[in-house]
Amino acid sequence: MKIIIVTPEGELYNEEVTSVVVSSANNGEYGMLSGHLPIISTIDTGYVKMTFNQLTYYVVIINGLVQQVHDVITVIAQDAYIGESKDAAIENLNQIRKARLDSNRQRNLELAMAENELKKQIKQTGAGKI
Amino acid sequence: MSSMREIKNRINATSKTSQITKAMNMVSASKLRKADKQNRAFIPTKERIKSVLEDILATYLDVTHPLLEPRETKRTGYILVTSDRGLAGPYNNNLLKAFKTHLQETHQNQDDFIVGTIGYKAFSFCKRNKYPMINTESVNSRDDVEFIDFQLMSRSFIKHYLNHKVDKIVIYYNHYVNTLTQTVDTYTLLPISTLVKKKDSQVAEFLFEPSPQEVINQLLPIYLENTLFGIILDAKTSEHAARMTAMKNASDNAEDVIKKLNLYYNRARQNAITIELTDIIGGANAVN
Repeated sequence: MKIIIVTPEGELYNEEVTSVVVSSANNGEYGMLSGHLPIISTIDTGYVKMTFNQLTYYVVIINGLVQQVHDVITVIAQDAYIGESKDAAIENLNQIRKARLDSNRQRNLELAMAENELKKQIKQTGAGKI
Repeated sequence: MSSMREIKNRINATSKTSQITKAMNMVSASKLRKADKQNRAFIPTKERIKSVLEDILATYLDVTHPLLEPRETKRTGYILVTSDRGLAGPYNNNLLKAFKTHLQETHQNQDDFIVGTIGYKAFSFCKRNKYPMINTESVNSRDDVEFIDFQLMSRSFIKHYLNHKVDKIVIYYNHYVNTLTQTVDTYTLLPISTLVKKKDSQVAEFLFEPSPQEVINQLLPIYLENTLFGIILDAKTSEHAARMTAMKNASDNAEDVIKKLNLYYNRARQNAITIELTDIIGGANAVN
């Protein structure tokens, strides 16, 4: 069975796996083994647990579509982060999202300041008047 | 006429400016390539979700959703997609001007519409004009745009639509035609009219977990945000293209200005020499 996880940045994950567990806040949890009937489901916030032999990986998904046809699972997500345990992946995701929002706020502040500064400079130097 | 020193200073200043504009031109050129690539790469993802939605709508005729039904428009929501920074030629101005004219033509009073902005330029424009706004903080339009940046705004717009606070949502953005041409375009995000009931012949009969209606409920907001994301990517590509062209023009103009200033400089130099010469000759004559 194959799983492909796609985000706007491109393919995050494309591997052979033995089993997959999809868990989301809206739909609860269900497992998928190879030979499953074609299925479509959504994830608002949740994770996909992938098992390959003894290895287990968790991918946290934000707003995604899960589609399985002919033993190929495609997850199309707005945001996805991979981790070795569920908590680590969620932690990672929250951290990145928080940092992002903070940096956005910082940027707004910087832009406002830069704009004021520019206005002041233009007034002082009389630029634009030749 | 200005003195030689003043002209020399201006030549220096202009050549420094042209160095900056040249650098910005090159930066934009490389960013344009990247943005264009991302824009193209996103199209299949968008289409995939669309085809799933269309398939469900064609198969299960009893599935409905308020986002799909048009209704009488009383209040319109607008989303403006601009850049954070200027120096992009007419990129922001064209869009804001078109939007302002549209508002003057269609809306008599300010209660008839509400604006959501992406990019600092649109934010300060709306603030200056005192338009009613949905976001209190500017939504960044970064080069590496992500869903989380605008999700707060798009979710509150969808909520407004579902609560009948707005009846239509229109996006204003710059569509990327090619490097030299970008046109101001509008896209009606809500009510959704782009989905046609069409069976996807490639896929088998699907199971829906938990039900087709639930999947539609979840997927429609995602579809909307994906559409908006695609439009932002398109606008981003236009921004880089517009900036690239504007900076190219600026560099060319700087060259012209420097050429002209050099002429003035030479003339001033000649003048100074002539004055000196006449002084010397006059002095010599006086001695004789």
